[in-house]
Amino acid sequence: MKENGILTRGGSALRWVAALAICALFLLPILWVLSISLKPPDEWLAYPPRLVPAQTTLNNYVLLFRKGNPVGGISEMVSSAEPVTPAFLNSLLIVPIATLASLIIGFLASYGITRFQAGGASLPLFVLTTRMFPPVAFAVPLLVYFRALGLIDTQLALILMYTGFTIAFSLWMMRGFIEGVPRHVEEAAILDGASPWRVLFTITLPLIAPAVAAGWMLAFTLSLDDLVVASFTTGPGATTLPIRIYSEVRLGVKPEINAVCTIMIAVVAGALVVASLLAKFGAGSRARRAQTGGA
Amino acid sequence: MANTPAGTRQAREPSLNLLVRLGERLTSERFFGTALIAPMQLLLWFLLIIPTFIVIYLSVVAWEPRMGVEWWNAPFAFLSNYTKVLQDGRFWAAIARSVGIVVVAVGLEFLLGLGMALFFSRQLPGKRLMTSVILYPMMLPWVVVGLCFYLLFLDRGPVNYLLTQLLGPLAAVEWFKSPPLAIGTIVLGDIWQWTPFLFLILYSGLGALPKDPVEAALNLGANRWQIFRYVTLPMLRPVILIALVIRGLEAFKIFDLIFVMTGGGPGTATETISLYIYRAGFLFGQLSYAAAMAVLILLMITLITRYAIRPLEQK
Repeated sequence: MKENGILTRGGSALRWVAALAICALFLLPILWVLSISLKPPDEWLAYPPRLVPAQTTLNNYVLLFRKGNPVGGISEMVSSAEPVTPAFLNSLLIVPIATLASLIIGFLASYGITRFQAGGASLPLFVLTTRMFPPVAFAVPLLVYFRALGLIDTQLALILMYTGFTIAFSLWMMRGFIEGVPRHVEEAAILDGASPWRVLFTITLPLIAPAVAAGWMLAFTLSLDDLVVASFTTGPGATTLPIRIYSEVRLGVKPEINAVCTIMIAVVAGALVVASLLAKFGAGSRARRAQTGGA
Repeated sequence: MANTPAGTRQAREPSLNLLVRLGERLTSERFFGTALIAPMQLLLWFLLIIPTFIVIYLSVVAWEPRMGVEWWNAPFAFLSNYTKVLQDGRFWAAIARSVGIVVVAVGLEFLLGLGMALFFSRQLPGKRLMTSVILYPMMLPWVVVGLCFYLLFLDRGPVNYLLTQLLGPLAAVEWFKSPPLAIGTIVLGDIWQWTPFLFLILYSGLGALPKDPVEAALNLGANRWQIFRYVTLPMLRPVILIALVIRGLEAFKIFDLIFVMTGGGPGTATETISLYIYRAGFLFGQLSYAAAMAVLILLMITLITRYAIRPLEQK
């Protein structure tokens, strides 16, 4: 298969072009959203549509956070009277707290399950059922139940539910890694007089950093993503970004909504970078430990 | 359970310092394990187990919010909600639509993902960057994907523009007004977002396969198709099954993409079962009816997963 020559070189160039085409297919829809978010009013509905705007403006982003501003003077294209700031801040508050809670609870539980077989052998599979069923099926009981508890339209309701809906990923992601941590490392620390809780957070947790990073990424995107749960438990008090976007998508081309989506696309990209840095940092510290420990 | 031994010890040695005993309890292995999983179990009770009981209760009473009674005071209807659901043509149509989307979308995602995995399993400069670009859509929020595909398929959007350029001015189509085309745009959106997922699983599966069988087959004179068909594919089978089961279950739940792109319309043309439950419960206010559908779906999924997981267990 390794003949050299024009034929194979031409073939590999062709394959490279094909690979670039595949990447373009996955990138272009995102670029289209970005493109509209940068267009001035007279270009939004221009036909033929242009991927690269003739003029670019950041005005759509500025308008997002300002109250009741008509955009460009086209009457039916008046921007939403409410700025997205509250929804943005809500998402910014709810998603990180839920993600953190999911990771901590998931870490403790996966440690209890792998090291002490707590909760029985079927518990991990049982947790997975939270991901199997359509969220809408739980929406019905949660609606009446949260209303009875006075949790409707609160941030706490969303934090609780996002923690619950992402716990399966946190648990399963970390379980495999904890199994991989050699017991003698933990036992050595206990013999040196450390308490189990201390061992948990200073020895085990740093060793499974890549799993924490992957779990963080998943829980973060899933919580940021949610439309179903938020749409039935929230009102004006706890609107999130996806709800705001949903309420305006089908009203036509709205560059401000594209601007919000572009921000979300960037947030996801940022989360990816943070996750890969976390994983790298964890892998680095593990390598150092292995070197100094001489294992 | 953990209380009894500590309690008797307390009776025997009353002078023992309370703090010391508490410390002992906190470090005893059994208690430690239970304490570790306690927060998660609380969460499961609160968000999974109690709601399951409530949804079953709601499904056997006749309750609608507009009745003016609290749901726990509603009159019993026993199984009448269920018989109504089972005779509801809209329910079965929604199920058929969900299943159809699963079969078509996941089938195509599998074929495309497998093709891409094979394509990228060979040497290629810049492969790492390219694969991360391809995996990006699956990280994106549903609403963003919904907006993307809504904008692409607008009457004067880029897709129609490309079609008119390629096929002439009559090729432009009103995508969201015709039922089959509206479903088509949703399937395309799902394929765009989730082919990367199948690609990821199959690509890493291919990478983890042993190299020897392929080389042995090469030495025996097998051609590339034969190697793929009789060596690679059978070895990849467990990975393929896992990927299809996970993705199939996810696709059956499809809601957000449709909610954003078509809202279930035109009419009920893109109404999947998740959307119908949503409409019945939250738009029409028929909470008990929606609860009965939810219970039936939960049962259905439980049964299906039991059979879907079976081939995964016999490795």
